Amino acid sequence: MPKHRLIATLLVDSGRVVQTRHFKRTNMVGSAFTAVDFFNSWTVDEIIVLEISNDTSHLSRMQEIVAELSRRCFVPLSVGGKIRDLELARRYLRLGADKIVLNTGAVEWPELISEIAFFFGRQCVIVSIDAKPDEGMPSGYRVMIDNARRETDLDVLDWAHRAVDLGAGELMINATSHDGSKQGYDLALTNKVSTSVPVPVIAMGGVGKLSDFVDGIKRGGADAVAAGNILHYFEHSTKKAKEAMAAAGVPVRHIGFYKVAMPRRPKYRPF
Amino acid sequence: MGQRVAIVDYGLANLQSVNNAIECFTPDSYIAECGEALAGADKIVLPGVGHFDEGMRGLRDRGHEAALGRLVLERGIPLLGICLGFQFLFSGSEEGSQRGLGWLPDRIVRIPHGEGNKVPHMGWSEVQLRQPSRLLAGIELPVEFYFVHSYCAPDAGEAAKCASALCDYGIPFVAALERDNIFATQFHPEKSQLAGMKLLETFLAL
Repeated sequence: MPKHRLIATLLVDSGRVVQTRHFKRTNMVGSAFTAVDFFNSWTVDEIIVLEISNDTSHLSRMQEIVAELSRRCFVPLSVGGKIRDLELARRYLRLGADKIVLNTGAVEWPELISEIAFFFGRQCVIVSIDAKPDEGMPSGYRVMIDNARRETDLDVLDWAHRAVDLGAGELMINATSHDGSKQGYDLALTNKVSTSVPVPVIAMGGVGKLSDFVDGIKRGGADAVAAGNILHYFEHSTKKAKEAMAAAGVPVRHIGFYKVAMPRRPKYRPF
Repeated sequence: MGQRVAIVDYGLANLQSVNNAIECFTPDSYIAECGEALAGADKIVLPGVGHFDEGMRGLRDRGHEAALGRLVLERGIPLLGICLGFQFLFSGSEEGSQRGLGWLPDRIVRIPHGEGNKVPHMGWSEVQLRQPSRLLAGIELPVEFYFVHSYCAPDAGEAAKCASALCDYGIPFVAALERDNIFATQFHPEKSQLAGMKLLETFLAL
């Protein structure tokens, strides 16, 4: 079986990495490139970069960022944010992305999931679902879009199934009430989704301590755990997260260290 | 190193990731869009993501098949096949009807779908050493590499003989192989962090 993954999420607002709390941007963390260099030299298994600017004027810059990131990212790189058509997805993939993350675009144009899956394979499509607790919905959660600002009529579990039927190879589940809260993942939500779909589920949103990663997998049933904020703020954070997971008996990728001389590896340069 | 590394372009694969990784080691890597462009390369990388038939058609139509035969089989230029580039070395694949390069007589099969193993096989899986390997010399196995594939080479026949490392996903399959100057991995070294970069460094230093 593939190992459980630790995924670093970078939120890019106008070219800068930011952290969020309940989907509101707070302090700047720094350049996307330094962040990726950190994660790369440590032990993260995958990187997800999401463009979250308020309008679409930064999308061409995002493409430059993705091209630069892929030159220094030697783990799988997933890219999302405002992807509404096949053309932008294709461009990101050509620039070196491995997977495309859809959220609002998938809700508004569900056929986009199928199109990307058809042309590039299901493994290429992650559907990200922002879930808000709502007792009026059958699963207890409502699907939110537009950075969780806009409600939809969709029930989270119904949408999860439909997204998989349409071609999603993975689902990423983010509880809006936990985003940036440091209270850990919404384990009930994660568990509901992961036990009812046949594709890997990525838990996202709310990690405040290392044991939250362990809970996401052991109690939430997630295949992979993602975090943004916590990983930016302390040294060797990804290594410590991996160690905590391994110590709790979660099968993770070994932290191997190899001396590799990469004389021409791109160095950080400010944009 | 300063050697010329050709990356074979047959029209479908995303070459950017492989090229990015190779560029960390040598200033002189290039994308070879047709067979003639492979002449003069010291090393050849055959990358791959995509459909077997389309890929083989691309290799043939662009003159790569003939050029690879000349350069790799006759002249002994080292070749590294990655993922679909690994599968091209075989005689064919259950994924399609095109004939492969046929450098290995065995056939590629679909990964059996079963309880607990979803297809495609995607993610970091542990790879075990089968026999001493020049390509994996600098890496301590078992170690995880990054895989994305729906088809594989079973641990049988000629493939089993030249397998340097194995992985298990429903069935045991060949994760890496080598024979003379031919090397190939089912996983993606360019996406396998330091272990993968070590492998590429080793290949380029051969």
